[in-house]
Amino acid sequence: MTEMKLSWPKNYNEVPKEAFVREDIYAEEVKRIFHGTEWHPVAHESELPNAGDFKTYRLSGVPLLIGRDVEGVVRVFYNACSHRGNQLETAVMGNKTEFECPYHRWLFDSKGDLVGCPNPREFLPGFNKADYPLAQPRFDIFFGLVFVTLSSETEPLLAYLGDSQNTLRELLAGDGRLKLLGYQKVRYDTNWKSYTDNDGYHAPLLHQAFKMLNWQGGNGRQFTATKRGHICFESALSVATGPTVLKDKSLIEFKGQDPAVGSRIVSLFPTFVSTKHLDVINLRFATPIDAETVEVHYAYFAHQDDDEDMVRHRLRQSSNLLGPCGLISMEDASIFHRIHIGNHTPGSAIFQKGVHDPLKLESEFLQNDESGNLPRWEYYRSVMGFERATA
Amino acid sequence: MIETDMSLEAALNAVLLADADALDSKDMQRWLDNYADEENASYFCRSAENSEHGLALGLMYDDCRARLEDRVTFVNDIWVGTFQDYRTRHFVQLTSYHRADTATLEMRSNFSVFMTPKDSGITQVLAAGQYLDSVRQQKNGGLKLLSRRAELDTSVLPRYLVYPI
Ligand code: FES
Ligand SMILES: [Fe+2]
Repeated sequence: MTEMKLSWPKNYNEVPKEAFVREDIYAEEVKRIFHGTEWHPVAHESELPNAGDFKTYRLSGVPLLIGRDVEGVVRVFYNACSHRGNQLETAVMGNKTEFECPYHRWLFDSKGDLVGCPNPREFLPGFNKADYPLAQPRFDIFFGLVFVTLSSETEPLLAYLGDSQNTLRELLAGDGRLKLLGYQKVRYDTNWKSYTDNDGYHAPLLHQAFKMLNWQGGNGRQFTATKRGHICFESALSVATGPTVLKDKSLIEFKGQDPAVGSRIVSLFPTFVSTKHLDVINLRFATPIDAETVEVHYAYFAHQDDDEDMVRHRLRQSSNLLGPCGLISMEDASIFHRIHIGNHTPGSAIFQKGVHDPLKLESEFLQNDESGNLPRWEYYRSVMGFERATA
Repeated sequence: MIETDMSLEAALNAVLLADADALDSKDMQRWLDNYADEENASYFCRSAENSEHGLALGLMYDDCRARLEDRVTFVNDIWVGTFQDYRTRHFVQLTSYHRADTATLEMRSNFSVFMTPKDSGITQVLAAGQYLDSVRQQKNGGLKLLSRRAELDTSVLPRYLVYPI
């Protein structure tokens, strides 16, 4: 691996801004992190409810085809023909039981096997269709959430998730039996790390809405899991009580169960953020496009057991509350852009709230602490091989 | 009353332009006033990708007059001072229309919206797509939007949205 020079400050609460903007660092991140020993969520099975349903996705540029085969089993393939590597499927989603590559008409079934190719007698002597299925990356599934890793050395998924499993399972409605409501997709002008550093983490002072809606600050727990610093939030849900400025109060109404822990966020290294807030269930599949751009697909879900009224409520709440145009999150989107502009200046981003001792890493935090991001930064630093200053 | 097709078409165009002008002026009250004063007046903004796959989720989902009024509050009161502001220019072109009943017309139009963030000053396309509108004829003969579905060809936005499309 390439040696990169970057002086990392001695204090755990300081992150050099250079790390967000240098092209050479980004190229190395693709190798060490996105193609390295990490698991990346790329879909939830409920996005493909029926046999033959598929979705395509690019994981930091690598094209994937995620499909449910004719027997109902979800599989992940590289979205490239096993002949000369032509992109096999161009649709973002759809339903097909066979995939035909138009270039030389090789035909694959929903299990990825090559089932037809014209004129094989002209091919290499001994050519055998069975040797040319679609290639597959390693993948695994946690309560319907489909993860891919591009390295053979990544530890098993459950070990990777560690103590974040419980919060993530609860966020996936406890049983993972979700029903897709739709997507909001956006490209932000920001480095992927600025996105993950500021999504999920909660800055109540930013949100004028909290005050205007008479929303009380909830009591919450924030903790990190595994050496990667996956971040989990579990908070009591504070529902607006007094008068609000909204004429349609259903936008902030809570119809679900369990207000004691009504709000959950799980943010997995490197880019995944998921949240369950009020009755919104939202998985954010995010991937870097380049050092200056990240693309986020906000996918929203209902639960399979919801009645019609509940689905409708979730749909109305999901559309208007938490996405790139949502009442309590549009401002976050603007912060992603502005942080990235600010990162083109010398020095470090300095975390304050919740930091007790800059020379120590902790793993339990208060709901609105900034310091919950620090274990993840320490892991990032070590993966990238940047040396921490001793003085 | 509208007598001829020519004057009907001119009146429909006036509805389209009133909306475009209100949005480009960031005059949310005028945007709201271009909608019929009926409880089920609505505005939806969603990607054509969602619609084509039967996914009802939108970027904005204002399915009643109260939500349209709340949308004005979001922009005028709640979000003030928290985002990078941008100018927009809406270009709209009526492509077809027909009368649904004595008081209602359906029309389709194409739109493209340019945006120019105030900080960068660089103009880019924010979104392109179609408006699918129901238009209500008022007692005085004037026309207002009863419902608008902005169906975006743009499935991946180049940034967050503050103002309706
Ligand atoms: S590249 Fe697909 S058939 Fe040749
Ligand atoms: Fe926030």
